[in-house]
Amino acid sequence: MKGAVRIALPLMVLAAAGLPLWAGGASEPEERVEIAVVTPYMASATTAQVINQFQEYGEENGWNIRISDTAGDFGLLVTRIQDMVSQQVDAIVLGMGDPQQMSAGLSAAEEAGVPVFGLDAGFTDGVYLNVTSDNHDLGRQAAEALIDVIGEEGPVVMFTHDPHPGVRARAEGARELFAEYPGIEIVREIHIEVPGPVDFARSVTEDLLTSFSAAGSIAGIWAGWDEPAYGATQAIQRDGRDEIRVVGVDGTDFAKQEIDSAPIFTATIEQDFDGMARLLSNLVRDYLAGETVESREYQIPGTVYR
Amino acid sequence: MRTNSGGLDSGPSLDLQRFLKTWGTLLGFVFLVVLFSLLRPDAFAQIRNLRNLVEQVATLAIASAGVGMVMVTGDFDLSVGAVASLSGVILASLLVSGVGIAPAILLTVLAGAAIGAVNGLIIAYAGVSPFIGTLAAMTSYTGLALFITRGTTVFGLPAAFRWIGQGRVGPIPTPVVIMVGVVLATWILLDYTTFGQRLYAIGGNRQAAYLAGINTSRARFFAYVYSGVTASISGIVLTSRLFSAHPQAAAPFMLNAAAAVFLGMTAFRDGQPNAFGTVLGVLIMGVLSNGLNIVGVDTYIQSVLTGAILILAVLLSGLSQRSA
Repeated sequence: MKGAVRIALPLMVLAAAGLPLWAGGASEPEERVEIAVVTPYMASATTAQVINQFQEYGEENGWNIRISDTAGDFGLLVTRIQDMVSQQVDAIVLGMGDPQQMSAGLSAAEEAGVPVFGLDAGFTDGVYLNVTSDNHDLGRQAAEALIDVIGEEGPVVMFTHDPHPGVRARAEGARELFAEYPGIEIVREIHIEVPGPVDFARSVTEDLLTSFSAAGSIAGIWAGWDEPAYGATQAIQRDGRDEIRVVGVDGTDFAKQEIDSAPIFTATIEQDFDGMARLLSNLVRDYLAGETVESREYQIPGTVYR
Repeated sequence: MRTNSGGLDSGPSLDLQRFLKTWGTLLGFVFLVVLFSLLRPDAFAQIRNLRNLVEQVATLAIASAGVGMVMVTGDFDLSVGAVASLSGVILASLLVSGVGIAPAILLTVLAGAAIGAVNGLIIAYAGVSPFIGTLAAMTSYTGLALFITRGTTVFGLPAAFRWIGQGRVGPIPTPVVIMVGVVLATWILLDYTTFGQRLYAIGGNRQAAYLAGINTSRARFFAYVYSGVTASISGIVLTSRLFSAHPQAAAPFMLNAAAAVFLGMTAFRDGQPNAFGTVLGVLIMGVLSNGLNIVGVDTYIQSVLTGAILILAVLLSGLSQRSA
């Protein structure tokens, strides 16, 4: 049995690995523009959405888009960028993530003359340009939506994730707005762990509701993105604390469905992912055609969904 | 074969040492419960919170039961979180496409068993190291879950499905009932069947077990199948609890399940994984997280403390194994 498995398994793995190559017609090499998209957050619904849309626009331009996800591993992300540089791709797109953590990869790209474009990522040396939402404003808008429903006073909890520069900027925007209302008190700021943010936020909210058990001891929860807002909503529903309101950011489908069906999840701020992906594909196309860009940072506003 | 601490039988200091080795982890758990009860008697030591706590840890406990069975043989299963996540994605996709709840659950559990069988073939029969084999498998299962969902969350599940993760059987949350069932099944399998005795024998000395006539490959293979099944059950409960499926929803289980088993190894049975020890390990991690949240300790510091306690537990486990 053991001997047979030792022979059969490698053959099966080889066959499985070879199948997509064969199905994809690997025997017909073409001279196409090669764009590498590297991301640490493909498991995030919104990252996947914006990257998939960029892929659609890129393929319409006739480009070959290669997507590489490192599942939160920033060290591996640097390696992936270096791999793409050595494969001499025409451009690298960084799908979210803080580019300051990838300086070794960005240096390698710069030395090789491979441009790095940010897609909802940060902007730093080595990044040619970045297209992003105005995250500071997204956070501010979400805080405004929360204040609209709870009134201008009450205890508020914030769900943050500082390692992500976009979510960090949202939290800064929200804090600034909350500070303008003397009646609003931020009673807790909690870092939400990724991956698994929905379950983490749900458990944390259950604990918070135990800790702040008196009615009115929490008026609202501001979440830096929709997934923890969704987890918080479920915990509040289960506990029957219907007076608490929750807001998120991103405008994901599941958040909109929750907002439409129940009053606890009050609002989310939709990012214009389609606009971001379209603009970036246009900018990459212009760059490859030798045109110069007007700006190095493009910020796209969000809209409130409630 | 199974080891015990029977050699340490003289003198009060050795009695105390033996007592601490057997019951130290349980005492540590009791200490944490008392500590948080004193710090926040109005919140922590309430029935409602204790019910929350066991409900929060139920999914991890179910997954850890299977990981514990694999670890009894001296093997490892790093793919548990990926299998649970993939199971959730499979189940949610089936439900959204109109398959009934019962057949969807059955198919998901069968998929979990099949995934476990693949792990078992790779490790027990093809001879790949458990660490490398399950790490590689984990990568593939995560990729498959991302491929099925395109990285998005699957939602819009039928309302009746909520009962599994959010319902009650009398006053007891359904996930806790399922957890108790899985733990009891694991305990009976490990402690009261020939299969369980063979797993402990393999974990004690694989070569000796083989020479004693045990089909070590087959036993290790079925331990992985069991781990696949418990991971899929855990994924089903988690999907219902979150009423949605995400391709990496259970990713934290990879380390947390192993940590729970390690914590449990220091309890009840000297340095060996065991069903109730694993539950105790899960409860310690749950109490830490729940208590620190209620007390209001910074999330980053919570990670520091949790890591430190795990290191302590693993050190104790090592001491226990050396002296056993």
